Formats: sequence, C-alpha cells, structure tokens
Amino acid sequence: MEEYVLICEDSTEGILTGVYEAYQFKKKRGIDSHDCIHLATREPDTQRLFTEYNNIPTDYEKAEKVTNTMIRQLGNETWYRLSMAMVSSLDEKADAVYHTIVLGLKLQDRHITDRLQEDCVQRAFQCARASDNELCHLKQFLRFSELQNGMLYAKIDAKHHILPFLMPHFADRLPADNFVIYDENTQMFGLHARFQKWYLMQGADFDEEKLVYSEVEEVYQKLFRQFCDSIAIEARINPKLQMNMLPLRFRPNMTEFQE
Amino acid sequence: MGDLIQEKSTSCEIDTAADCRVSHDIGKQSGIELRTASTQTIMEKLSILTDAAKYDVACTSSGVDRKGNGRDMGNCVSAGICHSFSADGRCISLLKILMSNECVYDCKYCVNRRSNDVPRATFTPDEICELTMNFYRRNYIEGLFLSSGIINNPSYTMELIYKTLYKLRNVYRFRGYVHVKGIPGTDPVLIQQIGYLTDRMSVNLELPTAEGLEKLAPNKHRKTILTPMRQIQNGIAQGKQELALYRSAPSFVPAGQSTQMIIGATPESDYQIMSVAEGLYDKFGMKRVFYSAYVGVNEDKALPSVQAASPLLREHRLYQADWLLRFYQFRVDELLNEKHQNFNVLLDPKCDWALQHLEQFPVEINRADYQMLLRVPGIGVKSAQRICKARKSGALNFDNLKKIGVVLKRALYFITCNGKMMYHTRIEEDYITRNLLAEHEKLPFDKDGMTYRQLSLFDDAQENVDLFGKIS
Repeated sequence: MEEYVLICEDSTEGILTGVYEAYQFKKKRGIDSHDCIHLATREPDTQRLFTEYNNIPTDYEKAEKVTNTMIRQLGNETWYRLSMAMVSSLDEKADAVYHTIVLGLKLQDRHITDRLQEDCVQRAFQCARASDNELCHLKQFLRFSELQNGMLYAKIDAKHHILPFLMPHFADRLPADNFVIYDENTQMFGLHARFQKWYLMQGADFDEEKLVYSEVEEVYQKLFRQFCDSIAIEARINPKLQMNMLPLRFRPNMTEFQE
Repeated sequence: MGDLIQEKSTSCEIDTAADCRVSHDIGKQSGIELRTASTQTIMEKLSILTDAAKYDVACTSSGVDRKGNGRDMGNCVSAGICHSFSADGRCISLLKILMSNECVYDCKYCVNRRSNDVPRATFTPDEICELTMNFYRRNYIEGLFLSSGIINNPSYTMELIYKTLYKLRNVYRFRGYVHVKGIPGTDPVLIQQIGYLTDRMSVNLELPTAEGLEKLAPNKHRKTILTPMRQIQNGIAQGKQELALYRSAPSFVPAGQSTQMIIGATPESDYQIMSVAEGLYDKFGMKRVFYSAYVGVNEDKALPSVQAASPLLREHRLYQADWLLRFYQFRVDELLNEKHQNFNVLLDPKCDWALQHLEQFPVEINRADYQMLLRVPGIGVKSAQRICKARKSGALNFDNLKKIGVVLKRALYFITCNGKMMYHTRIEEDYITRNLLAEHEKLPFDKDGMTYRQLSLFDDAQENVDLFGKIS
C-alpha cells in the first residue's frame, strides 16, 4: 500500500493547514483511509520507498477553519490539549495531532484525549505532557530583572515553544508592569505593556549586552541570593534532590545561581 | 491600637551605615526609603530572620485560586508554584521570614528561645512589604510566609503582623499568597482580623502529645494551641456560608489552615502521630499536617543529642502515610494498630498494606472501582483517573497501562488485565516481598537530605513518582 507524507511548517498554523490539506488530499486522490496519510514537520533524514512526499505551504485561513471545526465539534478542552501538543518539539506531534483529530471527528467524542488506548491519542498526550511540564517549570523558574526605565526583562531557553502559553500567566499577575520575555531558542519576544494586551514579536534586532539595569536591581538580586542561602538547613543538604527538582538546564537564567 | 508600634517604626528612620539602601516606588506614587536602625542592614536582617525561620516546614502556596484584577500585582494558583529549591532540596515558594526573632518563650527545641545567645533582629512592616513586592515582581516568590518570635506577648506580636499585612494588602495592594502563623494565646479579635488578610493560617501543634509539649515547651499549652485552631476552623465554615449568600463577602483564610509537629524529639510511636494527624484532618478540617524530623540545634538534657541523625526515613514514611489518608482514602487503623505501632522501614506503607491484604488481589484493571485502583501499589491518583476515563471507551492492556504511567514493576503482582496477569507470578506474601525489595525503593535522600516539595495533588509529579510510582 502506498503511503503519503505531507510536510508542513513547524508551527501551530502550519500543522493545522496540514490537517486541512490531508482531508482534501484524501478526497481528491480517493484514498481509503487516513492511516495511509502522515503529517511531518520536516523532511525525513532518509526517504522511504513507496512513499510520496508533498510540501504544504501554510495558509492562515485554512488553519482557522480547522480550529473552528475543532472547537465546535471537540470542545475547548480538546483544543487546548492539542495546542499544547502542537507547540512541543517532538517530531511526531503533527502526525499524532492529525490522527487524533480524525478519530475525534469520526467518533464525535469531545473527550477524545481521554482514549489513551488509541496509539495516536497516546502520542499526542505525550507531546502535550512534554510541553506542559516545561510550561510549569518556566512559571516557576523564570526570573525578571528590572531595567533602568522600570521595565522587566526575562530570558528563557525553552525546549518547547510555550511562550504563548506563558504570557497570559504573567500578564494576569503583573498587569501594571511593562515586561518582555525573550525566548532565546526561538528568538521570539513576548511583550506586555502596562494595562494592555500582550503580543508576540519575532525577528527584532536585539543585543542583550546593551541592556542597562536599574540601580536597585543588583541589591535585590543580592538579597534574594542571601535568602536562598540562609533558608537551607545544613543538616539536610542534598544536592541530588535539588537537582531532581530544579534541573541544571534552567540555572543559567536564574538569579540565585548567577555569580 | 498601636502607639507602641508607631514608636518602633519611627525609630528606624535614622540611617546609619546602611550600605544596602533600597528605595522603590510602589505604583510609582510614594517613595519609601528602607533604612534600618542601629548598624543592621537589610541584608543582615534578612539573613538573621530567614535563618531563624528555616526550621518551619510548610512552604506551600497552594489551596486558593485568585485571578488578577487587571490593576494590582499578584494572583494565586490553586496548585501552588515552587520558585526555587534550596541546597537541601526543599522548595522555596514563599518569602519565609520571621517578623522578629526576639522571643520571651523558652521552648527547649527552638533556636530562637530566650536563653539562646543568637543575633536578634526585627523587621519593620515597610521593610517586609518592600521585600515581598520586589521579590514577587521578579518572580522569585509566590508570596509571603510571616511568622514571628514572641515580642512582649502573643497579642502584641500578632498586632505587629496585622499591621504588616494590612499595609501589604491595602497600601501596597498585593494580591499574591500570604501565609501567617497564628500564635496561641492571641486575642481572638486579632485572629479574626488577620484571617481576612491572609490566605492560609497555621497554628503549630509543635509536638504530637500534650505530655511532650509540657516537657519541651513549658510556656505553651495544648489547650491554648487548639483554641485558635478551632476559631479558624469555625471562621472558615462561617465564611463559606457568607460567601454563598453574598458574593462579595470578604473571604476568611480561603486556603485553609495547616499545622506542623516535630517528630523524633519525644518518644511517640508512628501510630500515635498518625492518629493525631487523622484527628486534625477529621475534627479540625486541616488542609495539611506537616511533620518535621527533629534537627538538634540546642544542647538540653530533655532533648536527643545534637549529634543524633534526624529521623528522615521516619519522616518520609509519615508523609507517605499522610498522602494515603488525604488522597487514597485510607484510614490510620488500616495501616497501623496497637500491635503494629510503627511503619515498615523497608517498604512504603501502601505496599505494606497490600501485602497484608493479599486476599483482595489481584484487581481487574478494566472493572475495579476507583477506590480499589488507588490501593494498588504502582498506581497513583493520576493514573487511576486516567484508567477510569480511558476504559470507558475500550479495554486496556498492560502496554497501555505502562504508557498511562502505571509502574508495572510494582503493580504487576497485584493486577490483571482482561483476566490475565502479566507474568506467571504467585499471590504469596514472601514471594512478592522478595521481588519488591529487589527493586530498590527510590528514596529522596541518600543519608542526609530529604524533601518537602510542595505537596499537592496536581503539581508534584516528582513527589508522586518518588512516593507511589510514575504517574505523569
């Protein structure tokens, strides 16, 4: 049996366009089952035999159609979980999300993500869990510093592209602050202006070296380092446990581990 | 109500050798200079008063969901958020400090007791507010945990705390999490007032039994400890009723109350300790009971030697059992009894229970009710929930279970899928015990460290992994 792989852009809109095109593709070619169609977010390292590869350009209108259908027929909860899966950096996310949508629409099940005995749901669940874990970690470990003009600045290095999910959390918490979160990995900025809506920005020229911090910034950083130092009980020192709870990869961007 | 307090805070405006001068404008309106009296800088005060507060266990920020109001700083997430982990692996969620480490009491186990010669310091309300606001804004902390040594008398101290919280909530307009210690013997009116400003209040039980308390904390009495606990409990119940009637009623201690006790300083058995904890959950509506393995800081003939190792494994077992009570629907009598007073050192309490009740196993995964699934070693709350949801649409097999997050190497002796066991294993106590022991239990400490991570149903995948197997 011949297989088809549609290669879409590695973004939520790209994957959703891929889903739309997959349905079209199946209809046009008269393919029996969605099982023969796969989505991928990049060219495979080695191409397989008897497999046709097609590139899919991202189309925001098509993506929106799929979004609307999903929300209407599968509900907000499913939409949220699959969005979390789509921002993960795992390779199989596009295919897993696509087949979960197909199955959900076929069964008209608003709790499709609970069917963990289904392989595609299981894979989408794993992708969503990976990004969700990172989201939780960054809510914990992100650190702002105050710039001279009173603006807050934070740098993160996220494995999964969770910045759009991180912004609402901080926008709710710090409504009266101007703040920027910079994701080093995707080179994306999340911006929030005092009492206004947040938005994302990509492709800005940025040099961290040029940032000027406020006068009190250093004082508070020292105070916090002192606090973290004093709070530990000597009789219980346990670096292994600390490492389990706070993985090393977050530490370069954390105040208490700097200097 | 506070002429005395006024006097205290004015005396702090003399600026001497404050190399750590901090100024910050709240909401960009009023500049407040943080200066300190005498020669103490903010830095010194912070290190003295953090050091003095570190033996307090509870550092959780869970139990209340409060969205931002679009204007003031702060919100609360019901699962709680840990912001860092200190070198001992414990979670740092709140700015955990004492208002003051001056104390008129002389509790034998306490580092701040009156008879100890340690550096003393006292924060002013403004200093605490500034630190909280600035730490919170930088995402260092989730809120404030304020406790205090006893200055003059309990009511005087709590009034200082009230002043601080009032300022933090109404002048600085902080909406983040606040946890306050209730000091036994305080005027009930003060407790009531503070209850409307804080999210959680806790009164320390200190020691599991009244005899222990009498021996080690001569200034404290069981009755004065239980009185504010009861008051808070009633306040919470009444507050809920009022909220149901009037939506805008101020909420009273919305995140509930907790307490803690020191274990290993007095000779109680695990059975006694767990029974006390169960009583607190049942009769006082506690959200959490914390157990603190005794760490020797004072030389005293009434105490275990300072060199004695802290009973960390014991504390770990107590926490495991505490989880079984709160989330796994166990009762203390099922785990321990008069004859069997202490937990098994080698096995966690849930495995131990299962081995004593083999007649209830194996459990059929596709049919057993949720309560029974929770009792299977290797299945945690999340996996049990996932199993219940998933099996509605079709039978599960062992491979599915593994992917859902069940720890099969422990569960396999106790379950069947579609009527079949995973391997040919015998339902026999010695055989299963031997096999379970061969899988070395993962403890969160080697010899000398131990965790108190935020313990809550949703945010502590790691904790749950350590305790009951991988769930998420």
